[in-house]
Amino acid sequence: MRVALYVTCLVDLMRPSVGFAALRLLEAADCEVVVPAGQTCCGQPAWSAGERAAAAALAKKAVAELEGFAAVVVPSGSCAEHMRKVWPELLADDAHWAERGRIVAERCHELSSFLVDVLKFTEPPADFAGSVTYHDSCKGLRGLGIKKQPRELLAKVPGLRFDEMSECEECCGFGGAFAVEFGEISTQIVDRKCESIAAVGADAVVGGDLGCLLNIEGRLRRRGDSRTRVLHIAEVLAGGSGE
Amino acid sequence: MTAAQPLTFHARVGEKVRDRRLQQALQKARPLFVGKRARAVAALAEDQLDFEGLRDAGEEIRNRVLADLDVWLDIFEERARATGAEVLWARDGREICEQVIDVARRHGVAKATKSKSMLSEEADLNAALAAAGIRPVETDLGEYIVQLAGEAPSHIIAPAVHKSIDQVEALFAREHGRPEQPRSSADIPAMTAEARAVLREHFLSAEMGITGANFLIAESGSAALVTNEGNGRMVTTLPKVHVVITGIEKIVPTLEDFATLMRLLPRSATGQTISNYVSLLTGTRREGDGEGPTKTVFILVDNGRAALLGSPWQDMLRCIRCGACMNHCPVYFSLGGHAYGWVYPGPMGSVLTPLLTGLENALELPRASTGCNQCGSVCPVRIPLPKLMHRLREEQVKRGLRPRRERLMIGAWAWLAGRPKLYRWLAARAARYLRWLAGDHATIRVFGLAPAWTEGRDLPVGPGRTFHELYAARKRA
Ligand code: SF4
Repeated sequence: MRVALYVTCLVDLMRPSVGFAALRLLEAADCEVVVPAGQTCCGQPAWSAGERAAAAALAKKAVAELEGFAAVVVPSGSCAEHMRKVWPELLADDAHWAERGRIVAERCHELSSFLVDVLKFTEPPADFAGSVTYHDSCKGLRGLGIKKQPRELLAKVPGLRFDEMSECEECCGFGGAFAVEFGEISTQIVDRKCESIAAVGADAVVGGDLGCLLNIEGRLRRRGDSRTRVLHIAEVLAGGSGE
Repeated sequence: MTAAQPLTFHARVGEKVRDRRLQQALQKARPLFVGKRARAVAALAEDQLDFEGLRDAGEEIRNRVLADLDVWLDIFEERARATGAEVLWARDGREICEQVIDVARRHGVAKATKSKSMLSEEADLNAALAAAGIRPVETDLGEYIVQLAGEAPSHIIAPAVHKSIDQVEALFAREHGRPEQPRSSADIPAMTAEARAVLREHFLSAEMGITGANFLIAESGSAALVTNEGNGRMVTTLPKVHVVITGIEKIVPTLEDFATLMRLLPRSATGQTISNYVSLLTGTRREGDGEGPTKTVFILVDNGRAALLGSPWQDMLRCIRCGACMNHCPVYFSLGGHAYGWVYPGPMGSVLTPLLTGLENALELPRASTGCNQCGSVCPVRIPLPKLMHRLREEQVKRGLRPRRERLMIGAWAWLAGRPKLYRWLAARAARYLRWLAGDHATIRVFGLAPAWTEGRDLPVGPGRTFHELYAARKRA
């Protein structure tokens, strides 16, 4: 299958290794992977800020770039939710874009759900020595119903022990601009997440959204935890996340 | 409290997150609320009842009412009058106060006992009553506590959830004229009994009882009261006058609809199968009744609700005030309810406060959300709270209520994101800059461009090259 990899603006800037891991995984699953050259951002930050016109413009730009692909894969539940759920709504009243937006939106998938639900791929090429726990990011979990897929994939990684933490479905307090606009509230919320992580004592906390992971890692380090690794699920599944 | 407090939400945030006693109280309450509801929902499944199906039914009932609200209100008014009750209409908080005081004067009322009524909070009724020489006494234990403290409720079903047991003890000692004692949670029954004894005097001497209503039932002209303390019964049966103050949206068509909603409300609110008391109050005392008011007055309040019909926020009128949204809200449990500045806290407050008090009076509330949708996924009547908050954000932009600087920044960023080549170039510079700031470390500890981020956490950074740079280099190789 010929798929477009949409790496997301955050992965591009903050952690390219997630993009390369996603690429390796998709190739391991026999996809022909194209990284569309013009991609920047799905427009979610503008949408969240209430800037509908700017969000719609970025949605159109992305739809035009992604139209030719059987599937678009995103290593983020949050961006995937925006693409699948918000793009069609943003473009619904625009005769020229509504149908195009709807078709592309349907073909956008979060990485772990694409691997499991669409490709039925369950043989990740990695191994991992140690225990991991998983943070369910809100938009992926409550917006797209992603819950079993990452766990199914992690269960197939040789050497990996899975330990569920308490309240794994609780928000980590990231929320995009929220973490900066309401930093103090965000810190209160992520502290509760850090406590759950500390209590389960896993070697790594894994998630499907870099935003949440940066928030969690940043707070863990500030609290003095330099041991717990914070990894994107693509990094774990594709291997090479070790030293 | 008819208007939002003068302090901004931001200013209150700092104060609340540093309030250790508040934080402890909240941390204690959160797992109880969440756990009880979860168990109640799970127990439904064991009885082969489908909670999701019930939510659909609840949503349908509330939508059916809102589609023809005027018709249902007419029916209610007619049936209520037929049972001997008086029905008054109030446009806003001021009219609520005027009408209650007028009824009180007509019946020579010097003291009014109250059971929970959020509308009386919207109207700041207690202050108006006191100013008119009528003593209001809150009789719900939590409301009694916050009234003694001179505060407003911080939660719609657990008004004093923000208070520690020591704080309550200090209030009781002062009010009940006795020395303070060291207290633990084992003393709660004794403290409750103490409050009861004081309240009993008030129940017997008050000439008027004031309550809200969880629902108004159109077909029978009744008010339904759902409570866990016996106080509601006392307030509605002992005084000679009973005044029910409630929002116009509280109508349900039939008793059967009410029964359906009652399967949702206690489970969502407190995790109970059914609350300790459910009262259906219809009309005045009839011949042969041993007790009950000789005068019943319904005050049906708009206060901004009618304007929401047909608006992008109509769904909010489905709310049955269960509190589940705040009980599952990470922001609520970081701050408590007072931070929200008006009567309603949590996600439902972040939607209602701007809608009922004016968008410009609560600019921060619809933005103070991570968008996690923990609220929307528990709301028994499926109100899409994050979506409604988002529409408020869009409305702020539309009405030019956002700061210029913020709009310019987002505009510039969006412009840039529409120009991939320039965007790439700048992103590459930014990646290098972040790497340079971090030095030999994996994270940045103080980041001047987003100081609020690094106030509470480090900023982990990448290798100093963007994905697209590295990918292009790899393809060339
Ligand atoms: S919005 Fe929904 S969850 Fe919140 S109080 Fe109203 S009915 Fe309950």
